[in-house]
Amino acid sequence: MLPPSHWSDTLRKYDLIIIAAIFLASIPVLSIQRTTDFIIFCVFVLGYDLLYGYMGRLSFGHMLYLGVGAYATALASEYLTHNPFLILIIAIAAGMLVGVILGPIIVRTTGACFALINLAFNQVGFFLVVTGFSHYTGGEDGLSAYFSKIGPINFGSKITVYVFSLLCLLATVFLVRRLTSSPFGILLRTIKENETRAKFLGYNTFRYKWAAFIISAGISALAGFLNILNYTYVTPSFMDPGRNVEVIFASLIGGAGNVYGAVVGGVSYMLISNYLPRYIQRWEMFLGIALLILVFRFRMGIWGYVTGLLVPTKREIAND
Amino acid sequence: MLLSVMGIDVAYGHAQVLSDVNLTVGVNETICIVGRNGAGKTTLLRTIAGFLAPKKGYVVFNDHNVQGQSPENMANLGVRYVYQDKRVFTKLTVKENIQLAAFPTNATDHEAIDTVVNIYPKISRFMDKKAGGLSGGQRQLLLLGRALIGSPKLLLVDEPTEGLAAGTIDEVCGVLESMKGKLSCIIVEQNLAVIARLADRVYAMRDGRIVSEVAERSQIEDRAQLESYL
Repeated sequence: MLPPSHWSDTLRKYDLIIIAAIFLASIPVLSIQRTTDFIIFCVFVLGYDLLYGYMGRLSFGHMLYLGVGAYATALASEYLTHNPFLILIIAIAAGMLVGVILGPIIVRTTGACFALINLAFNQVGFFLVVTGFSHYTGGEDGLSAYFSKIGPINFGSKITVYVFSLLCLLATVFLVRRLTSSPFGILLRTIKENETRAKFLGYNTFRYKWAAFIISAGISALAGFLNILNYTYVTPSFMDPGRNVEVIFASLIGGAGNVYGAVVGGVSYMLISNYLPRYIQRWEMFLGIALLILVFRFRMGIWGYVTGLLVPTKREIAND
Repeated sequence: MLLSVMGIDVAYGHAQVLSDVNLTVGVNETICIVGRNGAGKTTLLRTIAGFLAPKKGYVVFNDHNVQGQSPENMANLGVRYVYQDKRVFTKLTVKENIQLAAFPTNATDHEAIDTVVNIYPKISRFMDKKAGGLSGGQRQLLLLGRALIGSPKLLLVDEPTEGLAAGTIDEVCGVLESMKGKLSCIIVEQNLAVIARLADRVYAMRDGRIVSEVAERSQIEDRAQLESYL
C-alpha cells in the first residue's frame, strides 16, 4: 500500500482532473441538467464548508447568500444588463457586500448564537423577497432571467451552462484549497480549535473571520448565479430558510473541513435527494436516520472515514 | 525596567483576585513567582498578557502604558505567553503550529523552524505529524520554541514543569536556562529546584498579593524559606 502522504500528494496534484472526469462521466447516467445541478450544489457546499468545516461556525442561514446571488442575477438581468459575465460579477459582489455588511455583527458570535443569527437574517431576507420587495422580486412568483450570447458563448445551451458550471466548481476547489492551505487557512483552523490562543499569537482574529465570512458569502452567491444560469428563473425557494438543512447535511455527510469532503458530500446529498424519493415516499426520514448514523459512527463523514483508514494511528506514530 | 506592574487590582466579577500588586522585571532578567494554588499567579500573568483588564493600577511595558491592550497587541509588542496546560493546536501539524507563530512576526518559516529545532532538535522528526500526537514534554518544548519566534522581549511561562517526568523537566529547564541573559522571563513555578536554577529574583504571592520579594542568591536557594510560601 502506498504511504498516506503519497496518496494525498497525488490527489492534490490531479484533483481538478479527477473531479472534472467524474462529472463528465456522470452525464450519461444523470443527464446534463442534473449533473449541472450536482456541480452547482457542490460549489455551495464548498462555500459553506469554509465557515463550518474550517472556521468551526455552524450557520443555519446560508441560503441567504445563495439567494442574494440568485436574486442579484435575476434583478441585474431584468434592470441592468443581459451580459452573463457582468451579471456574474454583480451576483458575487452582491453576496460579498451582504457579507461585508452582516459580517461584523455575525462573526462576533459563536456557537448557537452564530447559527441562529444567520437564520434570523435569512428569515429577514426571505421576507423581503417574498413581501417587502415583491414589486421588484416578483414575490412568490419570482422572476425570469435572460442572458445574451457573448460571441460563441450561448448560455441558452445546457452544454454551455454545464461546462461553465464545471469550470466554476474547479476554480472554487482550487481557490478553497489554496486558501485553506495558506497561512489564512491555518489560522481559520486555529480559530476553530482555540480562538483565544490564536489571538495571543498576535492575530486580530475578528478580521480573519470577517474575511472568511465574506469569501464564503461570495462563493454561495456564485452558486446562486449558477442556479439561475441553469434554470433561468428565480423563486423564493432559492432563499428558503427551510433548505439550510441541505447544505449542513451535505457538509456533514462528506466530511466537514475538507475540500474533497465538501464535493463528496454535495454529490452524496444530491444522489440521495434525487433518487431516494423514487423508492421511498418519505425519503426525508432516511436523511434523519443517516444523520444519526453519521453523528454516532462516522463523525468525520465519508471522506474523513476513507482518509482515516490511510492515516497512521497514534501508536504507529509513537513506534515511528 | 522592561515591565512595571503598579498597584493593580483585578477581579472576576465581584471576586477580587489581585490586590495592589507591584512587580518589576528588568531587561533580560528572569523572575519567578511562587505561591499556593489560588494565590493569583496565573491571573497576574493573564493580566500582563492582556487577557484581563485591571480595575486599578497600571501595567507599563517598554515605557508604554499597556493597560487595556488586547492580547494580540501585547503579542505584537513582544510579549509571549506559554500556557500552563501545554495545549498546542492539536489538529495542526507541528510545522503548521510553528508557521502560525511566524506569520505575525517578521520571521520566515525557515527561521521559525530553526528557532524551534535549535532548542529541541528531535522535533524535526515530527514536523509533518499532528501536534496532538506529541507527548506532554514535547508539547511544552514546542510551545517554548514557538514563543521564541520573532525575537520576543518578554516571556510569560506558566508552570512549565508541571506534570512532566524528571528527565523532561531537566530538558525544559535547560531551554529556559539558555534564554537567560537573552530576554526577560516571568516564570510561575512551584518546583523549588527549578526556581533555584532559573530565578534572578523571586516574588512570593499569597491571597492575591505580593507578600515577599527575594533577590539574594542565597535566599533564592534557601528552600526552607521559599517553601513557607507554598
